This record gives sequence, structure tokens and C-alpha cells, in this order.
Amino acid sequence: MKKVRDIKKPNITIDMTPMVDVIMLLLTFFMLTATFKAAESEAVEVALPQSVYSDPDNKMKETDVMTLSLTKEGDVFLDVDNYKIREKIFGDQFGIGLYHPDSLSQSQVQKTGKVGEKEIKRKVYVMNKAQFEKTLVDIKSSLKSISGNKSAQFQVVVKGDKDVPYGVFEDLMTSLHESDNKVFSLVTMIKADKKE
Amino acid sequence: MAGGGFDAPEVGGKGSKHKKKAGGVRIDMTPMVDVIMLLLTFFMLTTTLAAPQLMKVSLPKGDVKDKVKVDMGNVLYVRVSEKGNVYFANGKSDGSESELKKIDIKNVSTELEKIYAVNNSLLLLLKFDRKMKYNIMSDVFDEISRAKIDKRYAFLKMEDADLQLIAKAGG
Repeated sequence: MKKVRDIKKPNITIDMTPMVDVIMLLLTFFMLTATFKAAESEAVEVALPQSVYSDPDNKMKETDVMTLSLTKEGDVFLDVDNYKIREKIFGDQFGIGLYHPDSLSQSQVQKTGKVGEKEIKRKVYVMNKAQFEKTLVDIKSSLKSISGNKSAQFQVVVKGDKDVPYGVFEDLMTSLHESDNKVFSLVTMIKADKKE
Repeated sequence: MAGGGFDAPEVGGKGSKHKKKAGGVRIDMTPMVDVIMLLLTFFMLTTTLAAPQLMKVSLPKGDVKDKVKVDMGNVLYVRVSEKGNVYFANGKSDGSESELKKIDIKNVSTELEKIYAVNNSLLLLLKFDRKMKYNIMSDVFDEISRAKIDKRYAFLKMEDADLQLIAKAGG
């Protein structure tokens, strides 16, 4: 018996199969749930408000999304996820539109070149109300011409900072209405429902 | 291993030794596990699990300047002050309206359901103060979306008269 034990000891092997199985499962899960985003698409960071309501039929599209980000300082950033459209509209693949609805004050980006604490790396194109509305219309038509699909539609999403004054959103709504974007979505973060 | 029985006679005497060795073959899984671990870490770090959700807003069709006629007796004014206080008021057919009633923002959906139980064709007229924070609007909108009612709403501009009404009701 002593001899057998002596021989067995240095030969200990751990069966890794169950561990590999579990890791494989985890890997598959993360691979399937992963969504990738280019770093430049997150140029404007906003603190989103929270909401309980969720509409199962209304999901963020993977492509053809027009994002309107409202920063705390009252700036509206206009961005699309298609670099061809960006190049056509702003003349730069990484261009981003800026509209400051409040004509009495200056936008923070123009003053400091920063959004919140972060410096903006993308080329900013400043627009006034008329230019902004024209751009909204142009973007819609350029999607149709670039994709070659006449029924191609943008999903318009509004990412508002929770501290932005409502007036900015009201002005944006007017512009959206005038540029024939009658349906849009507000982006929020999921909040646990405490009521039920 | 069912096929093994057929192969055995052909291989002959040499086969017996081979077979013993084949049974003991061990594949070293360590490099595979290493790679899988790396991939796993990569995907775990790059994923964003808290996917944002969307609340749909539909603006009325037609031009901004288009006037839509509504029966003023069939509307419910929802006014929100700068501080985020929510006030309900029923419209009356002659254009006037009832006293402003302060509603706790957490009870907006239940209050709406109560009101719609009496009259389910009401039109909500939303008036938000321009200086109010955006997240109050999203909260109110959230409450409206959650109420199990037939949603019909319109955004209206907050006028001076509205501000006076709110100031009178407590700001």
C-alpha cells in the first residue's frame, strides 16, 4: 500500500473538463450578448435619466440611428452612425453637429472645447436653428440615397442629460417636428420598479 | 468504439500494443483553457449589459402651425412647475378649467387611471416649465406610459398665465 501511494502522488492530474465546460458556456454567453461600439461614437457622454416603463417592441436599432445628445449645458449634438453620411453632411468622417438652441448664451463646446469634463476629439460643426433643421432633412435624404433604399428610415433617439433644462428639449422637439421627424424615442436607463 | 471490433482482426498481433496506448492518450487542455480564458476576459470587459431602453414619443402629424380643434371639456391639463410639482386640472367646455390639483409624481399613473376610468377619451395637454430638469419630464412621461390608459397627449408651451396659475397653487 505504501508503495502505491508513493507512485500515485507525483502523478496527480486535475480534471479540467468541467471547468472548461463552464468557461465555454460563459464565453458563449458573453460572445452572444456583446455589442461593440467604436470609441468615437461615444464622444458625447450624458447622464441618462431612469425610467421603469419599457416597451418590448421598441428596441435600439443596430444601424441607421440618428442620435441627438443633450448635454447639461444645453448643447444639442447631432450624430449618425454611418460615416458616409457624416462625411457627406459635415465633410468629415468623424464630424459631429452642434446646435445651441439658447441664442442668448454660448455653447460650452465653443467656449472651452469640452463636453462636461472631457475634451471633444471630433470635429464640431456649429449650426443655428435654420441650419440644424436643414441638416436634419438632409441627413434623412442622404440615408436614402446612400443606402439606395427609398424607404430607409432613421431611428431618431434623444439622449438627454437628466439635468438639462426642459426648454432645450422643447426647442429640439419643435425642430424635429418642423423637419418631419414626428416619431422619436427617449433613451433612458432601466430603473427597478418599487411600486409593485 | 463499435468499429473497433471490425478493425481488430486486420491489425493483427501488433494491434494489441497499439490499442493499449491509444486508450491512454491524454490531450493537454491547458493551452485551450488559456485561450478561452483570454477570450472570456475580453468579452466580459467589452460588453455593456445595462442596455438603455427607449420611450417612444409621437408628435402630432401635420405642420407646427396647424391648429387642431379639441373639445376643451375633454382635456386634462398636466402642468409641471420648475421645482417638479405636478398639477392636474380638468378643462371645461367653455374654455375655463377646474382648480389645479397637486399630484405627487409617484402617483401620476394611478391618478390617471382613476380619471380615465370615468372618461377614457381624455386628451392630455402637457405643459412643462422650460427651466425644469429633463429627468422630471422623463419621470412624468414614464408615469404616463405606465398608466394602463389610451394615451393621447400633446405638448403645449407654458404660457405666463400657466405660470401664474402654478404660482397661485404653490409653485
